[in-house]
Amino acid sequence: MSRTKDSRPRPGASPPIPDAELAVARMREMSADLRGCAVLDAAGAELAASGGSDWASAGQALFAAAEEAGPGPVSQVHVATEDGEVFAVREEGLAMVAVTERFTLASLVLFDMRTVLRDLAAGEGIPDRRAPAPDPQGEPAA
Amino acid sequence: MSPKPHRILLDRVSGYADEAGAYLRRRRQTRRPFARVYAAGGRSVAYEPGTEAARALFLAASRLIDAADR
Repeated sequence: MSRTKDSRPRPGASPPIPDAELAVARMREMSADLRGCAVLDAAGAELAASGGSDWASAGQALFAAAEEAGPGPVSQVHVATEDGEVFAVREEGLAMVAVTERFTLASLVLFDMRTVLRDLAAGEGIPDRRAPAPDPQGEPAA
Repeated sequence: MSPKPHRILLDRVSGYADEAGAYLRRRRQTRRPFARVYAAGGRSVAYEPGTEAARALFLAASRLIDAADR
């Protein structure tokens, strides 16, 4: 999927919600251990989520706790608990929070989250792999 | 001079015991909850589970886990 320059989101503007949903779908596709994730905008509001509820306020609480902890402007957070692992990444005015099973490969999850957020912020579009590509001949797939 | 047979056996058993102890230590280490925050400049800080900052991070993390499982 590609877009013309004019249709890209302005810097600092939220991406369209369908793109955020594609970002969530892509994360689910890439990370086998993922239990759920959500994309938040610059204000902390939920743009898309994989299911569940209350992602926005819980995500904001995590970033607030990380800011309070005080190593400086927070770029990412990783918390491992007995019930699962939580990741949060900020990139170019957007944020993503994700919950995975325990003992997941943290560096891969963080890399995937950052990559998806960069693509989303750039407005280049996220490839939609949820459905097969339409047949140009109009014939149903065998 | 070759070592006595019982010495070889003792060395082997103590080697296995060391391996098992190291495995249990690693397992304890990896099972321990932790919280790590990365700042924009690449600096990261790990918070010990007993600290106030870690408590706030664990609380927020458990809310997110609840959100995912709901």
